[in-house]
Amino acid sequence: MKALENRNLENQNKNEERLQVEAARHDPVRFAELYENNFDRVYAYIARRVLTREEAQDATADVFHRALAGLPRFEWRGLPFIAWLLGIAAHVLSDRWQRGARRREVVDGDLDQIGVEDDLERRAILYQLVDTLPPDQRHVIIQRFVGQKSLREIAIELERSEGAIKQLQLRALQNLRDRMRV
Amino acid sequence: MANISLADQLEDAIERMIAEPDSVPPAVDFKISELLGIAAELRLLPDRNFQASLKAEFLGRNHAMPVAVDIETRSQSSQQRQARREPRLDEILPTLFRAGDGTYPVRRENLAISAAIHAALLVLVATAGFWMASQPRFAPHATTVLLTEISADPLPLSINETGGGGGGGGGDRDKLSESKGRLPRFAREQITPPVIVVRDEQPKLPAEPTIVGSPELTMPPTSQIGNPLAAIPLPPSNGTGFDSGIGSGRGGGIGVGNGPGFGAGSGGGMGGGVYRVGGGVSAPRPIYDPDPDYSEEARNAKFQGTVLLWVVVGSDGRPRDIRALRSVGMGLDQKAVEAVQKWMFEPAMLEGHPVAVQINIEVTFHLY
Repeated sequence: MKALENRNLENQNKNEERLQVEAARHDPVRFAELYENNFDRVYAYIARRVLTREEAQDATADVFHRALAGLPRFEWRGLPFIAWLLGIAAHVLSDRWQRGARRREVVDGDLDQIGVEDDLERRAILYQLVDTLPPDQRHVIIQRFVGQKSLREIAIELERSEGAIKQLQLRALQNLRDRMRV
Repeated sequence: MANISLADQLEDAIERMIAEPDSVPPAVDFKISELLGIAAELRLLPDRNFQASLKAEFLGRNHAMPVAVDIETRSQSSQQRQARREPRLDEILPTLFRAGDGTYPVRRENLAISAAIHAALLVLVATAGFWMASQPRFAPHATTVLLTEISADPLPLSINETGGGGGGGGGDRDKLSESKGRLPRFAREQITPPVIVVRDEQPKLPAEPTIVGSPELTMPPTSQIGNPLAAIPLPPSNGTGFDSGIGSGRGGGIGVGNGPGFGAGSGGGMGGGVYRVGGGVSAPRPIYDPDPDYSEEARNAKFQGTVLLWVVVGSDGRPRDIRALRSVGMGLDQKAVEAVQKWMFEPAMLEGHPVAVQINIEVTFHLY
């Protein structure tokens, strides 16, 4: 019964995504919806294969620009839209590596592996869970990993002790771990 | 305390991971190994500002959308990437590509008005040919022709240069009109005006009665001096005029005029009017001759015609005594007269002197 419900939900999502693709083909502004829905997974796919945030951001931007440009040629073949985006991402990374960019060695380089897709989803969910953290924990995580600030700098900014920030960082990661398990 | 210890270990491992991303993960307590794995995945946590700015690019906006996070820094490479990327079509022509829909909402009423205007213009262009064919455009106007009546008759010779065609009249306030009779002799100067009824039987200086005019002009002799144009010869009367002479005028002449000559007019000589062109009298030449307007009535009725005017052009070049000899109505006569009244002429000349002449002016009103 639950499997049937899941299948129905999956079909519903596919239909909705197909409508979004059709809308974006006629109106490029509607591409923003596809972008929002797939950003975290594309970024996660790329982030796993590059070394720096800058590379990840550049490659992600390239993927979506190429996708927008190639949308008129997109043919719906039953696969989810993210599969087409990840194919573009693979080409983008390949091009960058051919130009000499440093690559991060990943064991699972094949997109078709089920484990890779699960890892992709896991990372994407993790990125989204950060946004659900309590404000102070979220702030510490973002400043620490995105802002690349030290605990001391964050403590000064928030006018709290370094130890308190350290505890916030620990609780934030524990929170994320617990939510990932749900 | 255990938590503090775990937090320290975790922070040390995270610090090392951030500083050396390619290094082998350090050996840590199994309690934090899973947390460290999460931290490793968060090392390249996406910057939501970057995500928002990239989305704004797709929406054609230049500013980042508001986001919950407040990261101050933006990667330099992203700036470089944005700087070097080529402008997209929706940035060049945002309205055409509806990139600014969120900021500039479509106003349906404006769209409807625009569509209506375009439709009206299309209809106008499509029907313009038919309309022009059914409504022939005309520019009514008038042409004028100066006609000079060249007379074969001998011209009155003007003695008084300001007297025009000459003429004279007189009388002694009699109740009866002057009697019919012959004209006295013409002379350059008048000493004694002609009379029919002599009031002064014994004048101090008797002289032959004359009227002023060319001595070459002669009239058939009759028995009694009088006005040849009078109706009856009797009873004798000098006429109802005054200042001596004969007739109903004044000034010592004969006739209805004013002066010592004969006939209508003034100043002497024989006449009763103005000169005609020819025989030494040049034609006046218009120097300012604006065209007449078309009357609204004639324009609406699409009426056209020719008005013939009789005009006296004075020695000062101004037209006067304008009359329509041949009228067409519809207000065109009046328009013709009004126009000719504004004309100015170089006056007709006789022996080097400007004289008044009568002419005809033909005004033709055209629709096409």
